[in-house]
Amino acid sequence: MARFLFVVPPFAGHVNPTVPVAAVLAERGHEVGWCGLPGTVEHLLPDGARFLPATSQEVADYVNAAGERRPDLRGAAAFKFLQEEVLMPLASAMVDGVDTAVAEFQPDVLVVDQQALAGAVVARRHGLVWATSATTSGELVDPLEGLPLVAAAMHQLRVDLQVAHGIPAAQAATGDLRLSPHLVVAYTTEALCGPIDLGVPVAFVGPSTLGRPEVDDFDWQSLDPDRPTVLVSLGTLNAEAGGRFFAVAAEACRDQRFQAVFVAPTELVPDPPPNVTVRPRVPQLALLQKVQAVVSHAGHNTVCESLAAGVPLVVAPIRDDQPVVADQVVRAGAAVRVKFSRVRADALRAAIEQVLTDPDLRASADRIRQSFEQAGGAIAAAAALEDLLT
Amino acid sequence: MSDAPPSTESVLAELERILVEVVGDDLLLDGPITLETSFDADLQLESIEFVALSEQLLITYGEQVDFVTWLAGMELDDIIALTVGDVVGFVVASLQG
Repeated sequence: MARFLFVVPPFAGHVNPTVPVAAVLAERGHEVGWCGLPGTVEHLLPDGARFLPATSQEVADYVNAAGERRPDLRGAAAFKFLQEEVLMPLASAMVDGVDTAVAEFQPDVLVVDQQALAGAVVARRHGLVWATSATTSGELVDPLEGLPLVAAAMHQLRVDLQVAHGIPAAQAATGDLRLSPHLVVAYTTEALCGPIDLGVPVAFVGPSTLGRPEVDDFDWQSLDPDRPTVLVSLGTLNAEAGGRFFAVAAEACRDQRFQAVFVAPTELVPDPPPNVTVRPRVPQLALLQKVQAVVSHAGHNTVCESLAAGVPLVVAPIRDDQPVVADQVVRAGAAVRVKFSRVRADALRAAIEQVLTDPDLRASADRIRQSFEQAGGAIAAAAALEDLLT
Repeated sequence: MSDAPPSTESVLAELERILVEVVGDDLLLDGPITLETSFDADLQLESIEFVALSEQLLITYGEQVDFVTWLAGMELDDIIALTVGDVVGFVVASLQG
């Protein structure tokens, strides 16, 4: 019997992978809880879950609103905004609340998301055992390779954060808040992200969300069983920003031999071709069992869920970790890349046709699917976390 | 290559050719590339494309134009503000020795 506290950022894609892991830990008799911004986490947790707020509601609303600004930014400007205007203020705002939650819950292990650095600050301050939860592989590789001044400036931000919260400067300068020296749980495999040497123990567990329950209100009769099917999804966060892309994708599908399901607000794709179905929500795991290709923004969860079904992709990364994840899946041989902001219908159609027909892409996707099966998912993650108790 | 260092105009033309090769010919849909064109905001050049750009510059101009080292000396704000004119100026200056 031990207690595990998950410290999470206000992003669903970072909370969802922790839920099945916590469920396995609970089945084995452990106590689990979550700490994060109130109003952003609770609805993602199972009924009766223990939630400890990291801030007041007012601070949560303020920090959360700050993170939702500037969806227009891309590339380096988006990176700067995420680091300086979202993640650092989020960490500062959460430190005291995580501290209180730790005092109340008395965890044996803190499980800290790479974008909830307050958890790492508190763990270091109290000398607690902690694990990093790397819900995207975007920070497992160094996106700043070749830019040493930028990497140093980002490191300094994380040092300053620690010093501001009472960690001696010499200690703060060592190590990395994004990588626990005890354990990194990576929801990927090296078959996908390539060989990685972080200098700390890493448990490659693969995706953990494959058994999650889904609401199935999809009209399966609308799909023609004799045609290949393509799923087009930009994730929940990006659907609104995808107007141009969805229009191009609709044109790419017009009069083709395949049919497509677009996950988008219906008003965003007015008058779609007859072989295109537009739905604001789909049971994605069930649908992935029926499709032969996925067109995606290269969000980590969508990429992993597609590959877990053995389905190769067309990736059109938009920002943040998506270009890194896109690089990984292209290098692993399971995706074709197009440019989100510029791709035209003919090029997107050619990319979809390649993904539907190229046996090498399918074989690579299947190889990654097998690596996921062997990695063990939530059960392997829970076992690695239990190992920290001894 | 002749002894006279290439002009700003010829380097700009060459850089446009390289960028079209790296990004694809969709690049010119928004109009021609100028010295004011920004890599981040306008071209939305991604890191993988910066790598390809540096390789093409090496092939085109040789080791005298050390783009990788030049880029490594930049802060985040320099990269956000980087324009085609900055790269053209760097190439011209490098070739002048």
